[in-house]
Amino acid sequence: MKTVYADNNATTAIAPEVLEVMQPYFTVDYFNPSSMYAAARSASDAIENARASIAQSLGGIDPDQILFTGSATESNNAALFGTVQANPDRRQLITTAVEHPSVLEIGKELERRGHDVTFLGVDRNGELVRDDYVRALRRDTLMVSIMMANNETGVCFPVAELARIAKETDSRIVVHTDATQAVGKLPVNLQTDLQHVDLLAFSGHKIHAPKGVGALFVRRGTRWRPFILGGHQEKGRRAGTENVPYIVGLAKACELAVAGVAEEQNRVRSLRDRLQQTLIELIPAVEVNGKDAEVRLPNTLNLAIHGIEGEAILYELSRHGICASSGSACTSGTLDPSHVLKAMQVPFSAIHGSLRFSLSRYNNEADIEWIIAVLPDIIARIRKISPYWDDKRNCLKL
Amino acid sequence: MPWKYSDKVLKLFMAAVKGEAGTHMGELEDADGFGEHGSIVCGDTLRFTFRVERHPTDPTRDIITQARYLTFGCTSAIAASEALCTLLEEQHKTPLEALQVTNQDLIDFLDGLPEQKIHCSVMGAEALQKAVADWAVKRGVDLTKWLPDTTPADKDEDEGRVVCNCFSVTEPYLRRKIKELGLHSIAEITNALKAGGGCTVCHHAPGGLQDLLDETWGVMPNKDFEETPASAAAHAEAELSPFRLGQQIEALITELIRPQLRGEGNNIELVDIKEHKVYCRMTGSCSQREETARAVKLRVEHQIKEHVDDRLQVIVV
Repeated sequence: MKTVYADNNATTAIAPEVLEVMQPYFTVDYFNPSSMYAAARSASDAIENARASIAQSLGGIDPDQILFTGSATESNNAALFGTVQANPDRRQLITTAVEHPSVLEIGKELERRGHDVTFLGVDRNGELVRDDYVRALRRDTLMVSIMMANNETGVCFPVAELARIAKETDSRIVVHTDATQAVGKLPVNLQTDLQHVDLLAFSGHKIHAPKGVGALFVRRGTRWRPFILGGHQEKGRRAGTENVPYIVGLAKACELAVAGVAEEQNRVRSLRDRLQQTLIELIPAVEVNGKDAEVRLPNTLNLAIHGIEGEAILYELSRHGICASSGSACTSGTLDPSHVLKAMQVPFSAIHGSLRFSLSRYNNEADIEWIIAVLPDIIARIRKISPYWDDKRNCLKL
Repeated sequence: MPWKYSDKVLKLFMAAVKGEAGTHMGELEDADGFGEHGSIVCGDTLRFTFRVERHPTDPTRDIITQARYLTFGCTSAIAASEALCTLLEEQHKTPLEALQVTNQDLIDFLDGLPEQKIHCSVMGAEALQKAVADWAVKRGVDLTKWLPDTTPADKDEDEGRVVCNCFSVTEPYLRRKIKELGLHSIAEITNALKAGGGCTVCHHAPGGLQDLLDETWGVMPNKDFEETPASAAAHAEAELSPFRLGQQIEALITELIRPQLRGEGNNIELVDIKEHKVYCRMTGSCSQREETARAVKLRVEHQIKEHVDDRLQVIVV
């Protein structure tokens, strides 16, 4: 049976072009880039070329401002803890209630350590209320950390604007953004739109590079301290021997991703829109989470399916070779339903029945048709078992 | 990373190592000028000697004819030493003219040096300065007359951890200067000593400039939060309560600003006021074009400054 992979916000297949450029650095140019002999030159050159290439992909910025890390989670940790440490005279941080756990949990930890952390809520569309943000800014605001695009719903925040407002309020506020879901799906330009952003995190495995490599942009002059100490690598800003093949892969993937933004915005978007439109027509009592947001990622479709549980749907989809994910409590390690959907006040009858499809450039029309062919029937069968579904009248029964 | 040397650096280094004719390795017996400069950072020392053709009457017109070096150091230190000697001999400089040779001249001669190796060129310039000082003593020239500030830096300060790699500034030197000059911020350090003016990585690095400042002066309370007594007093009389400030701005918007904007098909909504920042939302045709939006914002800000308080600033949200 064919596998339809529609969980690209979780991870992605490595692009063949990426794998190819990585190969030599495992077996031929395997040297430690810090070594002095000439042979190591190719490894250290590879890192610097990768850095320059990524800097180019992000708007032609000075490459010196890109650091390589092990993941977007590490980049987020470095961004938040590093900024807090460099600004001991300030106390408040502003973030959102719908961040990825690698920002959200740090926010909670900083709260335990005595900082004031404002977690901005979202409205029913998953969007921030601009006035709440303005009112949250204080004279002791240390940093703002707001994601560019939400991994669950695909709802995008106007980070460029929010960063400008923060800097106009007080130039000492450090602005960080988790751009993990944005790179390759939205234009990310640190020279123009995002000129007020100081720190930006993303990773490789969401853009067809391997897991285990990420990057952190640190704008020159930002009050920020290194997070991982113990070596001179990355000019002492991120210690540890560089993962040369993965860094090379990240740069290639980044180049392809940025070049592919147009395809994402057109072909992938039309696939997603076809999926969304057809499923809404075929399935009763289903909503699209984040549908009315001003900007939403072109590849993401998050459905709220009333009356049933998401994990059961995933299981059935999986039997049909379809890979998707859910915000249901049963699928989370903590048995707590999605914090994102809770913050959006998705009705409790649907929060456990959330289903996310996330596409990539490797999806085609046949994938979409297969999902459309099997999903309505799966949902109908599971609803038959549900005590909250009136099968005769084909509606929710509470 | 492996150092990326220019071809010139590698050529000079190879020539020196092979002892090719025309290279300057060695030490002159009874030299007219002798200077030594060491930097433990790169594990290198440069012993520099030169001989002059003495002018019969005026020692300041002596010409350097021979320059030699003994260098314990890395590729670029040896190349920089070669560069120094070649430069002096080729240009027939007087010792006083030689004082004008900077480390940048050596870097240029070498077609550049890797950032982390800049201090090798500094070493050349420093050793030269000391050798000229030695010549001045031997020839009875009062160097202070020519260059007021030639006291070579305290030897201990050349050694020690380099904090600013770009300008090769060490921790002991920074600690002394921070105290001596009363430097209280990174910007002040950069202005006074250059340190931190390059890649800026040392600003907030562990053991970096901010740490040295904090260790010297204690962690400073943020000055942004405190008005100096003088400025506070100046504003005290005119200071409006937040309530009155809000009322005045609201009134100004209702009576003057909004009617104007409405005439142009625009509108304005007050979102919040704090810390002399007035947050407004602009709607209508002005929000469509960036230039118009900017012009409208500036005009509104000007009116609010003029009628209410000139410290107020408008932020469009």
